[in-house]
Amino acid sequence: MALVSGKRNIPGAAASSPANVFAAVGNRLMTKVLLIEDDSETAEEITAELADRGFEVEWSANGIEGLDKARSLKPDAMIVDRLLPGMDGLTVIEALRKEQVRTPVLVLSALGAVDDRVRGLRMGGDDYLTKPFALVELMARVEALLRRPAESRETTLRVGPLELDLIERTAKRGDRVIDLLPREFRLLEYMMQRSDQLLTRAMLLEEVWNYKFIPATNLVDVHMGRLRHKVDGPGEAPMIHNVRGSGFILRAGP
Amino acid sequence: MAGCDVPPLTSTKPSGQRDPMRQAQFIRSTTFHWALAVAGVLAAFIIVLFGFIYWKIDDYLTARSDRVITVELDSIAGLSPERRLEAIDEKLRQDPRRVQVVAIFAADGHRITGNLESLPPHLRIDAPAQGTDVIRTDRKGSELQTVRAIARRMRNGDVLVLGRNIDEAGEISHVVGQALALGLLPAFCLCLLAGAWLSMRAQKRVEEVNQRVQRIIAGNLRERLPHRNVDEPFSRLAAIVNGMLDEMETMIHALAGVGNDIAHDLRTPLTRARLALERGRTNATNLEQLQAVVDKAIAGIDQSLTIITALLRLAEIENSRRSAGFGSVHLHEMLREVCDIYEPIAENRNIDLRVHASEPLSVLGDRDLLFEAVANIVDNAIKFTPDGGKVRIELIRCDNETIVRVTDTGSGISEQEREVVLRRFYRSDKMRNTPGVGLGLNLVAAIVKLHGFRLAIHAGPGGRIDIICPDPQPSRVALAAKI
Repeated sequence: MALVSGKRNIPGAAASSPANVFAAVGNRLMTKVLLIEDDSETAEEITAELADRGFEVEWSANGIEGLDKARSLKPDAMIVDRLLPGMDGLTVIEALRKEQVRTPVLVLSALGAVDDRVRGLRMGGDDYLTKPFALVELMARVEALLRRPAESRETTLRVGPLELDLIERTAKRGDRVIDLLPREFRLLEYMMQRSDQLLTRAMLLEEVWNYKFIPATNLVDVHMGRLRHKVDGPGEAPMIHNVRGSGFILRAGP
Repeated sequence: MAGCDVPPLTSTKPSGQRDPMRQAQFIRSTTFHWALAVAGVLAAFIIVLFGFIYWKIDDYLTARSDRVITVELDSIAGLSPERRLEAIDEKLRQDPRRVQVVAIFAADGHRITGNLESLPPHLRIDAPAQGTDVIRTDRKGSELQTVRAIARRMRNGDVLVLGRNIDEAGEISHVVGQALALGLLPAFCLCLLAGAWLSMRAQKRVEEVNQRVQRIIAGNLRERLPHRNVDEPFSRLAAIVNGMLDEMETMIHALAGVGNDIAHDLRTPLTRARLALERGRTNATNLEQLQAVVDKAIAGIDQSLTIITALLRLAEIENSRRSAGFGSVHLHEMLREVCDIYEPIAENRNIDLRVHASEPLSVLGDRDLLFEAVANIVDNAIKFTPDGGKVRIELIRCDNETIVRVTDTGSGISEQEREVVLRRFYRSDKMRNTPGVGLGLNLVAAIVKLHGFRLAIHAGPGGRIDIICPDPQPSRVALAAKI
């Protein structure tokens, strides 16, 4: 994976910026993100990238101040470094959860992710990203957290001409029936729930295939290639877009 | 490793220089305290022994003089009264040491003859020999003496008193005391000296060991503890520690080797990134060219990071003692899942990938890690199998073992390569240009080891790798649960 950062040369990135987020968050003018990170240079880069994408960013360099800000500012999402002066990141989150604050959190850490506290975090709907990471990956995950699909009773997913029947396990594009293998169905379902969002390879591996590691082979690309071949028929406008070096987006329009 | 050859950074004090602290140390040492205690006990024992000897001798001498005076009394008493007086005079004449006491008193207590002033008041008459104080009187004057004496009333009413001075016993006790002093003092001193010597010797050896250890700490890994070829606790301890040091030295060298490999593998992509950036900075004339250069550099850095991540993950698994998260892993289902994920990749290359797992079998383990291990093996198998080949994933049950076997029609792993493939970063020369980090099999080995399973790499033709999972023995499950 090439960790190319920057929205400038990525056509897809523009579509996944705040314009869509507004709908999810409501009438607020700007989506507020609280960043708790003690390394000022890293914080600067992240803040600048978030600001470029139209987020309002608050930065805190230690755990105790961060916890205060989380209580007073009521951010829409938080990015928290795991090792912090004052109070460690996971403790900050545990404290907030005890107060019934449900703000989604993305934890950044230089520590590996094979421990039980991290498993608990993921089960609680939060996310964990190991340093070093690509900015694109970070942004994709923050937006995924902000737009967690709501629990829906809908049995049919629709994105543009694409239709997925979750009961019958069938897929259609317009009138054309798409024949999908179970694993392809699972992948398409995940992508339709998060249409117009950049989904990175790591996110797909973790969520669709339940992989806890990055395999040597480009698994995701091969699977995605097959799915795209079925979804985007000859002569049809492509719906699955490859964002170079970062991941994939399912989009209704061109 | 460079560190081994470097002289110690912090040098200890030269051994010739005596530390005043250390001189006093031997007095405080436990060895010396023990020696002191032993000397004390020995002294007490000697004193008791001599006391006993003195008491026994005294007892013997008293009994003997009692016998002597009784016999003499009997013999004098057996004489006629006139002869008695002669015998008494004779007896007194033959007593140059003035130890004899003899006298005859008339019934009214008046002295008839002898060297006693009067009848001793506490002396019981017609009783066995007894100790009493008498006043002895002769030409040289009178003096108070403690004697053993016996008195008997004669038929004519006179009282015959016969005694013997027991000052001899005092002399003997004097001699015994002298002997005691002569024996006890040297013994006591000897004990202390031996204690001090042992203590100093131990101290010296500890100091010697300390100096060697300091040198080891300073980085001289070839240093060993002094070791004499005798069966003595200190030498045995030194031998044990030296064995441990040998083992550690080997391990450290192995680690250093890995370190060199890592440095080399990291340097390659970083060099590429650096060159790209350097050239790009001078040569790029527009934004597209610059972006291409930056992309190249990022790719190089990413590869280094991938290596570091893989290494950290390996370390994480190798150091993990966690088996609390172990549960029953359904291997047949897991293998199908692995196959499912890799099927499209195999298909793309026209490789026939299939699972043979009819029996539902499970093992105790961490599902995520076992999945990763099998996925890695299958990934490798597909990578090294030529297009149109076959890869099989099988689940086999034979006595007390469950085996996950992955076979392929690739080149296989040769006899010589079998050991080294498990080394970090080893990549077969044929595969130099296949993408990958070269840590895959290490990871598999680490995961397999963590579970207490075995990894078997079979010789060609074709590749064949087994993960052998022995059935857990009851004790082993308990052990795993404890860890």
